[in-house]
Amino acid sequence: MQQDIKQTWFFQQSPGEVWEYLTKPELIEQWLMKTDFQPVAGHKFRFTFNAKPGTAYEGVVHCEVLEVKPFTKLSYSWKGGTQDKSRTFDSKVVWTLVPKNNGTELQLQHNGFTLLEDVLAHTSGWTSLGKKLQDLVISIQK
Amino acid sequence: MRAQTLDAFQVIADPGRRQMLMMLSKNSMTINSIAENFDMSRPAVSKHIKIMYNAGFISITDIGRERHCVLKQDGFNELQDFINYFDKFWINKLSKLQSILNNKSKQ
Repeated sequence: MQQDIKQTWFFQQSPGEVWEYLTKPELIEQWLMKTDFQPVAGHKFRFTFNAKPGTAYEGVVHCEVLEVKPFTKLSYSWKGGTQDKSRTFDSKVVWTLVPKNNGTELQLQHNGFTLLEDVLAHTSGWTSLGKKLQDLVISIQK
Repeated sequence: MRAQTLDAFQVIADPGRRQMLMMLSKNSMTINSIAENFDMSRPAVSKHIKIMYNAGFISITDIGRERHCVLKQDGFNELQDFINYFDKFWINKLSKLQSILNNKSKQ
């Protein structure tokens, strides 16, 4: 079972240039979503998008800037849910920029989801456990 | 005792419930045997169990006078759905960023 989201992307641009695309609203908008982001820890902001009719998720993600280390690291909380509020998520997005080969390695970790790690790491066995109980019930019924 | 219906993430947000799920991942347990491991009242444990039951994380079977709890996949699937959704979401968005930056460097 996958526990969290980790992705690594390489860009030919410098960390400074990539950083701009992570922190300037007019640039973020071009590839991610409309936002009133500001690179200031504690700043509360939102990402918004036009949720197509029939899409489960509501068109807004509520965020708060957690950490800003210029050209190196950026993290924010990431909260939202489905339009009918039956499912919600409270997670965290962490961007790390590493200078590499005259470019930038951009690492993404999306995990608030971290809470799951211990649980998910141990849950592979439930099918056999279900079977065990079934056997137990059957043996009692006999 | 009243047990709210919480979504999958709210269910696992509580350390006590996470610990109960961990214990159940090793073996099925009765509510009484779960309660023995926690410094909380039996009704409090029952309430957590009910919450996890409502959210599809466990199933409860009565065997004799005991209530047996077993992990159930539904709740975990719900969490996995979210993770898969966002994994694809980011691949999509980041390829867009990459093409924007590639085009920019050509100019």
